[in-house]
Amino acid sequence: MTTSKPVNLQPPAPNEDQAEARDEMGRPATQRKGEVRLGREVQARIGQQLRAMYDDVVSQGVPPNIADLVRRLSDQDDGVA
Amino acid sequence: MKLDPAIRDQVLATVPSLRAFAISLCGNVDRADDLVQETLLRALAHIDSFQPGTNMPAWLFTILRNLFRSEYRKRRREVEDADGRYAETLKSHPEQTGRVEFNEFRAALAKLPSDQREALILVGASGFSYEDAAAICGCAVGTIKSRVNRARTRLADLLAIDSVDDFGPDRATRAVLAGGSRS
Repeated sequence: MTTSKPVNLQPPAPNEDQAEARDEMGRPATQRKGEVRLGREVQARIGQQLRAMYDDVVSQGVPPNIADLVRRLSDQDDGVA
Repeated sequence: MKLDPAIRDQVLATVPSLRAFAISLCGNVDRADDLVQETLLRALAHIDSFQPGTNMPAWLFTILRNLFRSEYRKRRREVEDADGRYAETLKSHPEQTGRVEFNEFRAALAKLPSDQREALILVGASGFSYEDAAAICGCAVGTIKSRVNRARTRLADLLAIDSVDDFGPDRATRAVLAGGSRS
C-alpha cells in the first residue's frame, strides 16, 4: 500500500488585518479576491518602471534654489529674518 | 539657535526623493518645487519637534503630504482637471517632468485615485515600509496594502500589460492611451 505524503490542505493564512475586511469603497474583502491577480512579472515590470521614473527625478539632486533656502534657514538666528 | 549641521544634511539628503514624491503628487514640476520649499520652511521652523535619530525622510514626507492635502482641498476645482493640466505639463516641459520614455507610465499613474497613487509611490518607489507609509498617510497598514494592490492592478489594466512582452513600446497601446481612454 502506498502512503501518499499528506497534502497541505491548510487554508491560506487569513487576512492579516481583519479590521480591513471592507475596502474603502465599502466592498467586502471577499470581493477583492475576485480581482485579477497580477503575475509576478507584471508586478516586477510596474515596479521597475515606477522606480526608473522616480529615480530620474532623484538623480537631478537638490536644485540650487532649494539648497540655498535650506542653508539660509539653517544659518538663521532665532528671531532674525 | 543655529541648526545642527548633521540635521541640515539629513534634510538636504532627503530633498531629491521628497521632490520626486512631490512631482508624483502634483504632476507639475513648478508646483512640486513650491510644495517642497513650503515643506522645508515649515519643517525647519518646527525642527524642535523632530526627534534626532528618528526617520527624517518619513517626517518630511508627512509634512509635505499634509500640505499637499490641505492645498488640494482649497484648489479642488483646479485639481479636477488634473489630467488635462498634466497633459499640458508633459507637452510643455518634458525635460522637467522626466524623460519622454516615462510619459506613458506617468499618464497612467495620473489616472489613479490620489490615495492609491501616493501609496504605490511611497512603497514602490520611495522605498518606505508599509508601516512608514501608513504613518505618513495617517492610515492603517492594511489600508496601505490594499491601496498598493489596487494601484498595481489598475496600472496593469491601463497599460494593458498581459505579459512581459506587452510592456515594451507598443504603438497600438500608446495610441489608445493617447487618444481614446480619457474618462
